[in-house]
Amino acid sequence: MEILKDIEIVDLALYLKEEKILIIADLHIGQEEAMNKEGILIPRFQFKEIESRLKKILDKLEINKIIINGDLKHEFGIISEQEWRNTLKILDLCLSYAPVILIKGNHDKIIGPIADKRNVQILESYETKEITILHGDKLKEIKTKTLIIGHEHPAIIISDRIRKEKYKCFLKGKWKNKTLIVMPSFNFITEGTDITNQKLLSPFLKNISNFEVYVIEDKVYNFGKLKNLRQSNA
Amino acid sequence: MITYLEKPHKKEELEKILNPIVKEWFFSKFKEFSLPQLYGVLEIHNENNILISAETGSTKTLTAFLSILNELINLSENNMLEDKTYAVYISPLKALSNDIFFNLIKPLEEIEKLAEKKFGIRIAVRTGDTTASEKQKMSTKAPHILITTPESLAIVLTSTKFIEHLKSTRYVIIDEIHALADSKRGTHLSLSIERLQALTQEPLTRIGLSATISPLEEVAQFLVGLENGKTRSCKIVDVRFIKKMDLKVISPVPDIINIEPEKLHTEMYNLLDSLIQEHKTTLIFTNTRSATERVVYHLKEKFPQNYTENIGAHHGSLSKEHRFNIEQKLREGKLKVVVCSTSLELGLDIGYIDLVILLGSPKSVARSLQRIGRSGHKLHETSKGRIIVLDRDDLVECSVLLKSALEKKIDKIHIPKNCLDVLAQQIYGIAISNQISYKELYNLVKQAYPYKDLSMTDFREIIEYLSGEYSSLEDRHIYAKIWYDKETGMIGKKGKLARMIYMTNIGTIPDESFISVKIGEQTVGHIDELFLEKLKRGDVFILGGNRYIFLFSRGMTAQVQATVSKLPTIPSWFSEMLPLSFDLAMEIGKFRRLVEEKMLAKRNKEEIIKFILDYLYLDENAANSIYQYFIEQFLYKKEIPNDKKIVIEYCYAGDKKKYVIFHSLYGRRVNDVLSRALAYAISRFQHKDVEIGINDNGFYLSSETNIQATQALSKIKSNELQKIMELAIDKTQVLSRRFRHVATRSLMILREYKGYKKRVGRQQVSSMILMNALKRISPNFSLIKETKREVFEDLMDINNAELVLKNIEEGKIKIKEINTTIPSPFAFNLIIQAHTDIYKIEDKLEFVQRMHNLVMAKIGKEHII
Repeated sequence: MEILKDIEIVDLALYLKEEKILIIADLHIGQEEAMNKEGILIPRFQFKEIESRLKKILDKLEINKIIINGDLKHEFGIISEQEWRNTLKILDLCLSYAPVILIKGNHDKIIGPIADKRNVQILESYETKEITILHGDKLKEIKTKTLIIGHEHPAIIISDRIRKEKYKCFLKGKWKNKTLIVMPSFNFITEGTDITNQKLLSPFLKNISNFEVYVIEDKVYNFGKLKNLRQSNA
Repeated sequence: MITYLEKPHKKEELEKILNPIVKEWFFSKFKEFSLPQLYGVLEIHNENNILISAETGSTKTLTAFLSILNELINLSENNMLEDKTYAVYISPLKALSNDIFFNLIKPLEEIEKLAEKKFGIRIAVRTGDTTASEKQKMSTKAPHILITTPESLAIVLTSTKFIEHLKSTRYVIIDEIHALADSKRGTHLSLSIERLQALTQEPLTRIGLSATISPLEEVAQFLVGLENGKTRSCKIVDVRFIKKMDLKVISPVPDIINIEPEKLHTEMYNLLDSLIQEHKTTLIFTNTRSATERVVYHLKEKFPQNYTENIGAHHGSLSKEHRFNIEQKLREGKLKVVVCSTSLELGLDIGYIDLVILLGSPKSVARSLQRIGRSGHKLHETSKGRIIVLDRDDLVECSVLLKSALEKKIDKIHIPKNCLDVLAQQIYGIAISNQISYKELYNLVKQAYPYKDLSMTDFREIIEYLSGEYSSLEDRHIYAKIWYDKETGMIGKKGKLARMIYMTNIGTIPDESFISVKIGEQTVGHIDELFLEKLKRGDVFILGGNRYIFLFSRGMTAQVQATVSKLPTIPSWFSEMLPLSFDLAMEIGKFRRLVEEKMLAKRNKEEIIKFILDYLYLDENAANSIYQYFIEQFLYKKEIPNDKKIVIEYCYAGDKKKYVIFHSLYGRRVNDVLSRALAYAISRFQHKDVEIGINDNGFYLSSETNIQATQALSKIKSNELQKIMELAIDKTQVLSRRFRHVATRSLMILREYKGYKKRVGRQQVSSMILMNALKRISPNFSLIKETKREVFEDLMDINNAELVLKNIEEGKIKIKEINTTIPSPFAFNLIIQAHTDIYKIEDKLEFVQRMHNLVMAKIGKEHII
C-alpha cells in the first residue's frame, strides 16, 4: 500500500519506488541482553526474528540502497561479543543486497566502530529530492516537502471492553506545512508506544489527533484518523 | 492417619510430666489447665503431631510452649541442653515480638525467678527486621528456640551455618496456620518444613495452631504432609466452639427500605455510638480501608464530645508506627473504639475487647467467628458480636451467616495446589544448600501436602525452566539457575550470585505499589499508586482519620499538608471487597428455595414469617423485612432464584442499554468465571462486546443490542470451561498483573539484583514483555500455566463454576427466564453496586427506593400489606 505517492509500506519498512531505497528503523539489537543485565531473564528470540523478517522484505524488492533510520543497536553498558556479532550479521545481510547508510539515532553512541568495520557511512539525515529521512529524536530544519522519522516506536491499542490488542503502526500527518511519516520499530520485544494515551517522545510530534494510522498485521490496514479511533476506544 | 482426640487428658497426667518448677510456676499464674492444654501438652510431650483448633485467646500458643519449655528445662537440669536448635516456631505475623514476650519469654523469666537460677535457654527471633549482628550471633551460637516467619525460615534453610543448628530440630510449631494454608505463603512454608524434615534424622513433631477453620482434616494433612505417599499421622484437637457466643444481626431501623437516606445514615451512627458507649472497648470491622476512614470521620464529626483521642483507625495502608501505636493503646486500655478494615483479624493480643461490631457482611462464617472471637479474650468469657446490616441483601446474607455460625457450619478453606512458581523458588533454594538427585528431589516435594499430586511433567518442566533449557545452548549460562546432569541425575546450584539472589528475592507476597504520603520528611501513611493518579493539587482526602491537602508527588512519595478546616473528598479506594464463600452462598440459596416453596404453596404471610423466625435467628422486624423483600420478588415475576435455579432476567428499560441479569448466587469467585466465559462466548458467536458487572449474588451483561444469553450459556460446556476461560482471559489485565507476581516468585524477574531494587512499575512493564516472549516459546510455558492456574483456582473459583455448569447440564439446576422493564428487586444491588461505595449509602438508597417504588406500583401494595 502506498502511504504517499511513490512511498510504499512493505511490512515494517518503507520503500521509495523511484529511488529504490528501502528504509527500516529502530532494530534495537541487544535489548534482551540489556534486560538480562537488570535481572529480567527474558529469552533471546529477537535476532532470528529480525533476520528472517528482513530477509523476506529484501527478497521481494529491487533495492539500490538501504537506510537504517537510527537505533540499530540497543546500547546499554558493556556490549558482549555476541551482541557485536549479531549487529554485524544484520549489517552484512543488508550489505549483501545493497549499500547501506546508517542514520544516527539516540541509542547509537558507539555505532562508529561497527560502521567502520564494514565501511558504512553514518549520517545525521539523508535527503532525496522530495524527502528527508532522519531519526527524529531532535528537531532539525527540513527543506524537503516530506520527512520520515523513526524513534517513536508507534503502536496502537485497539480494544473492545474485554480484550486489548496492540499493533505496530505507521503514522502520517503534518509537521509545519510538510508531510510527516512516522515509522514503527523493526523490533519484536515490544510492539511499541501506545499513541492513544502515552506521552510522545519525538519533538516533531505534538498534537497527532489528525494523523492517519496504518496498522501493520498480515497486511496494511488504514484506520483513518487517530481522533476517530480514540473515540471508539473510549 | 488423621484422628480426632476424643477427650482431654486428666489433670494428673499432665502434672506428672511437668517439671516441678514448671508446675509451680503454672499454678502460680493460672487456676487450672485450659482445655487446649489438657488435650495438647501431653501429646506434644509424647512427640505426636497435633493440630489444635480453638478460638483466639484460648491459650493455644502457651500450650505449645509449655510443653517445649518443660522439655528444655528438664534437659537443662540434667545438663543435657546442647548448643543446637530444638524448636522452630513460625508465625505469619512479622511483628510477633509481643506474642512471644507473653507466651514464651515472660514465662521463662518467671520460671527462672521462681527457680532462682538460669536454665540457659536461648530464644532468638529472626524476621526480615533482624539486624545483621543479631543474625551473626544466632549463626554462631544456636538458639534453642527459633522464632521466625515463613520467609526467614527459607533463608536460614539455605544458610550453611544455620543448617548445622537445625539438623537436630525436634519440634515445629506453625501458629495461625489458618492464615497461611489458604495462600502461596503457606504453600511455600509446606516445602520449607519438608526441607527441614529432610535435614533432621528423626521425624519432627509438628504442632499446628489454628483459629476456627474447616475442614480440620485437610488442614491437618497440610500440617503433617506425607511420607512414602501416605499421610503422616496427626491428632486433631477440636475445641472450636467452647467460647459462648452472643451474636445478633441488627438493622439500625425497623424498615430498611422505606426510610429517608439521611435518616438511615444518622440512625446507623446513633446505633454505633450507643453500642460503643454501652461497652468498655469496641472493635469495629468494616472490610475496606475506605469504610474504615469514613466511619472514624463520621463518628468524630457527629459525636465530637465522645470521640477525640480515644478512637483509632487501623488498616493496611497506615504506617507501621501508626498501627503499632494503636495496638499499644488498645492493650493499655486507652481506646474506647478501634475501627479496622480486616487488619486486626489475626493473632496478636490486643487486650480487652468486650464488643465486636461487623459493619456489613464478613462474607464467610470462619472469618466472622475469628473476628467475633476477638472479644471476651479470655477463654470462658462470652464473645459478643453484632452484625449491622444496611440493605436487604446484606440482611439476608448476614442472617444466614449467623445461622451457620450458631449451628457450627463453617465454610471450607481453599488450599492452593501444585503452585509451580513457589516450587521453582524452593528448588532453587534446595539446590543452593546441597546437591540432590532428581528423584530424591521429586519425592521430597511430594511430601508436602500441596504437592502430593504434582505430576512428573510439571516437575520436569520446572527443572527445565531452572536449568535454562528454554534458551539456546549458547546463552544458557545466563538463564540457568541450577545445573541438571541428565546422566547422573544430579541437580545443583549455578552461578556465584545464587545465594545472594535467593536471599534478596525470596517470598511469595508480591510488591505492591504504594505511595508514601509525607508531610516534609515524616510519613503519615500510604495510598495506592492508582489513587495518586486521581489526585489533583489542592484535593483533600482522609487518611488515618486525619485530613490532608495534596500538594505534589515525586517518584513514590506524595507531599501533603494537614488540614482541619477543609472538607474532604472521601477516597475511593480500589475494590478490596471480600468474596462470599461458596458454602455460605449455597446456604443462602437454600434458604431462598425454602421460602419460595412456601410461597408457591400459597402459605400466608404469618406462616412464612413464622418459618423465617424458626429457621433463622432473628427478631420480628428483621423477619418481616426479609419476608417483604422475598414477596416483592415473588409477586413481581413469580421466580425467586435459589441454589437450584438460576434466573436470567432480560431487563430493557427503553433507554440505550439492555441488561441481562444472571441471578446466580454462588459468590463472586464463581460469578467471575461464569460472566467472563459468557461474555467471551457472546463476543465470539454473536460478535458483540458486552459490559460485565458482578457481585456475590449474580452478574449482569449489558449491551446496546439484544443478547442471546441463554443460547450463549448453552454453548459453555462444563468440560470445556477451562479452554474457554484460557481464551477469555488472554490479554487481560488480571492475567498480566498475576504473571508479574508469578515471574517474581519464580525469580524470572529479580525484584532486587546487584543491589538495585526494581520499582513495581518497572517489574510490571518487564513482565509483560517477558510473557510475550515466553508465549513464543510455548503458550503453555510452565510459568504461564501457573499464572492461569492462580487466576482460575485461587483468585477465581473455576472448580465450583464447573460444578454449577455440570448441575445445569444434568438438570439439577434449572434455568428460568424473565423479562422486565424495571429490574426485579433482587437485581437492584447488582445494577448499582459498580458505581457506589458501601457506606456512601445516601445515593444508593435513593436509587433503590426509586426502583422499589416502581416495582411496588406494578405489583400493587395490597398484596403485601
